[in-house]
Amino acid sequence: MGDERLQNTIKVQRAMRDLTQADLAALAGVTRRSVNAIETGRMVPSVLLALKIARALGVSVETIFALHPRTDP
Amino acid sequence: MSQTTNDRSELFLRFSQRKLATLLVIVVGVGAVGLALMLTPTGSVWRAVSRVSLVPVAVAIVLIVQMTLRGRRWNPDSPEVRMAAEDEWRRTNMERASRLALIVVLLAQWPLALILGFTQIPAPRGAMAMAMATITLGLSTQIALFLKFDRE
Repeated sequence: MGDERLQNTIKVQRAMRDLTQADLAALAGVTRRSVNAIETGRMVPSVLLALKIARALGVSVETIFALHPRTDP
Repeated sequence: MSQTTNDRSELFLRFSQRKLATLLVIVVGVGAVGLALMLTPTGSVWRAVSRVSLVPVAVAIVLIVQMTLRGRRWNPDSPEVRMAAEDEWRRTNMERASRLALIVVLLAQWPLALILGFTQIPAPRGAMAMAMATITLGLSTQIALFLKFDRE
């Protein structure tokens, strides 16, 4: 499990819908700091939060979050 | 959840950080005075503290905390406060800060015992000083680390 990391497409999905981090936070019912932390990869969200964000963006969780091989040494 | 709620939640988070920074100063101050009293019970700190009534000090602390809120009142059941309290990023940061503070406290026990051993104070007072130093170190480390992690 250590050789994979969670990547997300929140920024892309936001841009497609012309939403700011604050807008998405308001839609998902979380603070903007949480959205920022997840978007920049500083925090791995819980399943509940991931589902809330997916619902707010109107896509599936898999569209936003995916596991990718770790590239850094 | 409206945008206004999110704005107010952001505001609450900023006030909460100020409140914690004030708490950090209070914890360090009270801890330092307490430790000085344990180590030198008849020293200048004790004489200074015995002259000061605790009531004005308590009033000053309450006023400082109120000043950080700038006259605002936050209802604990309001959506913005609940959103901030249940915020996953803040909870993650608090858990990280708690874990690291525990490690710091555990690692500090041996050096603290060694330092207090050299002071040659009576054992009961040494134990009290050790407890005071441990609590101050633990709380201040946890608050300081949380404030550091919670910054953007």
